[in-house]
Amino acid sequence: MQAIRRALSSETVSGWAFVLPSFALIALFGLIPIGWALLLSLQKSNLISPETPFVGLANYRALAHDPLFRETLGHMLIYTGLFVPISIVAALGVAVALNRSVWFIRLYRTAFFVPVVASTIATSIMFLWLFDKNFGLANFLLGKVGLGPFGFFDSPSNGALYSIVAVTVWGWIGFDVIIYLAALQGIPRELLEAAEIDGAGRWSTFRNVTVPLLGPATMLLIVWSSINAFQLFDEVYFITKGGPLNHTLVPVLYLFQLAFQQGIAGYAAAIAYVLFFFILLLTVVQFWVGNRVVHYSS
Amino acid sequence: MKRTWFLLSVVLGVVAAACTSSKGANPQSASPGGASSAQSASSGEVVNITLWHGYEAPAPGGPPNYEAISLKNLIDTFNATHPTIQVRDVFCCSNDFALQKLTVALQGDKQPDIAYEYGSSMPQLATTPKVVDLTQRVNDPSYAWDDFFPGERAVTTVDGKVLGIPALVDNLAIVYNQTLFDKVGLSYPSSDWTWDEFRAAAKALTVPAAKQFGWSFPADASEDTVWHYDAMLWEAGGDILTSDNKKAAFDSPAGLEALTALQEMAVTDKAVFVDLQNSGKADTLFNSGKIGMMVTGPWALPSYPDVKYGVQIMPSFPGGNHQTIAGPDNWVLFDNGPARVDAAWTFMKWFTAPEQVLADSLACGHLPTRASVGSMPGFASFGTKYPGVGAFVANLSNVLKARPQISTYPKISTAMGQAIVSVLLGQASPQEALSKAAQEVDTTLSIP
Amino acid sequence: MSVDVAIARDGGLDAELAEPGRRLRLPFSPWHLVLFPLAVIMLTPLLWMLVTSLETFAETQHFPPILIPHSLHWQNYPDALRAAPFGRWFLNTTIVTTIVVASNLLLCSLAGYAFARIKFFGREAVFMLIIATLMIPFQVIMIPTFLIVKRLGLLDSIGALMVPNLANAFGIFMLRQFFRTLPVELEEAARMDGASRLGVLFKIVLPLSGPALATLAVILFMWTWNDFLWPLIAIINNQDAVTLQLGLTQFQGAHTTQWNLLMAGNVMSMIPMLVLFFAAQRYFVRGIATTGLKG
Repeated sequence: MQAIRRALSSETVSGWAFVLPSFALIALFGLIPIGWALLLSLQKSNLISPETPFVGLANYRALAHDPLFRETLGHMLIYTGLFVPISIVAALGVAVALNRSVWFIRLYRTAFFVPVVASTIATSIMFLWLFDKNFGLANFLLGKVGLGPFGFFDSPSNGALYSIVAVTVWGWIGFDVIIYLAALQGIPRELLEAAEIDGAGRWSTFRNVTVPLLGPATMLLIVWSSINAFQLFDEVYFITKGGPLNHTLVPVLYLFQLAFQQGIAGYAAAIAYVLFFFILLLTVVQFWVGNRVVHYSS
Repeated sequence: MKRTWFLLSVVLGVVAAACTSSKGANPQSASPGGASSAQSASSGEVVNITLWHGYEAPAPGGPPNYEAISLKNLIDTFNATHPTIQVRDVFCCSNDFALQKLTVALQGDKQPDIAYEYGSSMPQLATTPKVVDLTQRVNDPSYAWDDFFPGERAVTTVDGKVLGIPALVDNLAIVYNQTLFDKVGLSYPSSDWTWDEFRAAAKALTVPAAKQFGWSFPADASEDTVWHYDAMLWEAGGDILTSDNKKAAFDSPAGLEALTALQEMAVTDKAVFVDLQNSGKADTLFNSGKIGMMVTGPWALPSYPDVKYGVQIMPSFPGGNHQTIAGPDNWVLFDNGPARVDAAWTFMKWFTAPEQVLADSLACGHLPTRASVGSMPGFASFGTKYPGVGAFVANLSNVLKARPQISTYPKISTAMGQAIVSVLLGQASPQEALSKAAQEVDTTLSIP
Repeated sequence: MSVDVAIARDGGLDAELAEPGRRLRLPFSPWHLVLFPLAVIMLTPLLWMLVTSLETFAETQHFPPILIPHSLHWQNYPDALRAAPFGRWFLNTTIVTTIVVASNLLLCSLAGYAFARIKFFGREAVFMLIIATLMIPFQVIMIPTFLIVKRLGLLDSIGALMVPNLANAFGIFMLRQFFRTLPVELEEAARMDGASRLGVLFKIVLPLSGPALATLAVILFMWTWNDFLWPLIAIINNQDAVTLQLGLTQFQGAHTTQWNLLMAGNVMSMIPMLVLFFAAQRYFVRGIATTGLKG
């Protein structure tokens, strides 16, 4: 009775009224397709033939014995473990640097946004040259200071993956920066001034006032970056194509190859669902930790 | 608050306008595919069919896209002479996305009437009844189906059914930089040259100090890698699979000979630019004089504006021949109702008749898909108009085999691709790599 | 007890430039030493694209690439414009992007506010469901989305590009986070004064959320403007509904990519997003709320 009372309270009514339009759209175009993909993962399908026999959990069982899939998971974890912390910490530093009113600051900020806006195809070609083993600018400059030459995308083991980390950090840091910039505007000036009056240094203020107040934004970025890092595709597709010899093969590229090049879409959908499960797990953990650590409104 | 309501009404207004205007402007595209839209082909009524292709619109400034222009001209001619059938050509997308886009369209019953598809997509396309079985139609004597090269016909056929018409044929040959040959004092390759001579040339053309390589090999482990190897495999007398397509056959002495040749040139001589990303860098390197020889097809020639090149057929192994491999693409017809299928076939029959094939070849340098075209009087000017391409036309007679058109081929390709690249990188010996790949392939093929 | 709420809007980042005598600011600040090199590194793709867009096709066929072209081939720009119906593509993309951004600003604000402030039954579960939709790659769900859009009769029109994107899960997540950083006392005070939830949202929360809304608008603008995969499959035959990024694929031919024209097209395509971003910084206004308690 209590629950029903609560459910029908004006809070619930107004809450649902606010949320319904968005939720309806997202349910229609997001949740229903996800359900469809679940069904697909239980079938044997190449997306072209009308015959799609139901095979139950066979795809998932095959997945458990797929060494290549395990490799992709490993690559995904390494990539995420590097990409998320590096890009967020760097973005925070850059945002603080950009959060001032020197001349040309608007241009500087726009400059950071350029890689985010540039087409992945264009930047991929650029990086193929930049990091070319023989003719690239990177090895040229590194050679001048006595380093290298490095293989970058040609590296046999994880070198290519690290190069992809560099490429994506560079490409996406602007996104994190503008989120942090927006969040920095929300820090009341009185708090910063109060800290100053209390004798706290710049770094101390930053660490004890600014960073905690940026908690919600950091939370947003950690969750969002992780979700995206787990689903890395574009840069790997255009630059390394998963190579050399599958050293940069990540789950989404693997499932794309399976579905559209090998015609094994049911299996690909199963991969997507296992991936989904991992991402969901990680996100739940992040929220659980976040809700304890992040400090919301004063 | 006021601003929000204003914004809302603007949004709604524009949405309404956009939805109605775009629907109204295009009655053709709004009509769904499928039997329900079959129009009766009674005399006087026009049947509209759509054709998807990947030839980008002709653009001024760059190399004019003669392929697109040729296609457009032919279609216009057809439309003018066949008032009851109107063909509309639609640039679908870059050919790499063609299968993806078609897959989605098939799911939603929005497929076109004719689409350009890679030959390698045929086994997958064969699994849908929406692809028209052309076997009866092509076997009509007036069509001269045998006029198409055997390698092309093999690629259109899956399980004995003809499911496509050859749209494009090509083959691999050696394009070499004559200036670089001159520089190291090498004489140009002759048509009976051997892989040993090739290896010597590659070595001579490799100048580490200038970062110059003898030749380039695509090493992204994709089908591009595999088909380059296939040509060598066949030249050595080997085959990809056994004739019943039940077991791997490439781990034979012939396969070993071919892969060892690659290993010697790539790992021992270091004369090969091992192109791990295969994103067009090799072509630009060749054009910049950093690579001596390319194993490539006629499509690449426009990418070499700065090179004085020559074309020669593939070298041979001792006791072998100069076989090459072709990568034919097909026009595939889809079932949108009997009237549209008939109309599409009428167009296709005309479009691929010898006269039109000749016109297309002359207009844009396509290798003629029909063998008879090469001896038609009008073809004489082809060699002068397209220097270099003539060699590829002659090379069509060296296309004797085709890759297996079975649905599991992509897995076979992956296994072979990995094997080849691991050898190129010096990470495996040819014997190990081939055995491993053969094992994987046998496993794949044994699954019913 | 009444609460006097005064929301003073600080001029934010740029205000300091306008107020004279605030602080002695040298035209050259040491920060330039840090920002300038970083900005140059970030700008390299734009420079690269510009250089490539000014080359002839033959010049693009070089490796290592020619960084200083023989002559500036400005002709590529009008050529690219003439080679394809850029005007139509531009118009389509603008319509789609404007509507998607406007719709999202409204819907994500509503939903984000509810998730941030209203304790309603099922709140956390619904929020998780919404976030969950971000966790499956688009390549997997594009076919069912296609089928749904087809069922709605929107295929092959720009409606197909708008309707699935009218509410964005990231936008909801982002605004929820931002709204939760605002001082809740303001909203409570307003509600005690009799304001409705909607009123609080529009009169108190949104005015304080300038930077967040501006940022979200820029992000969504960019995503929609650059969207390529969905338009590729949703626009089938209707050439009138082609958007900019989709149209640019025309320069990637069957065998040869016309890099110079493609880059010219890409440069032109990037400009609106950069201009918008530059302009949007005006909205990075710091909303500061001061409260005074009376009585």
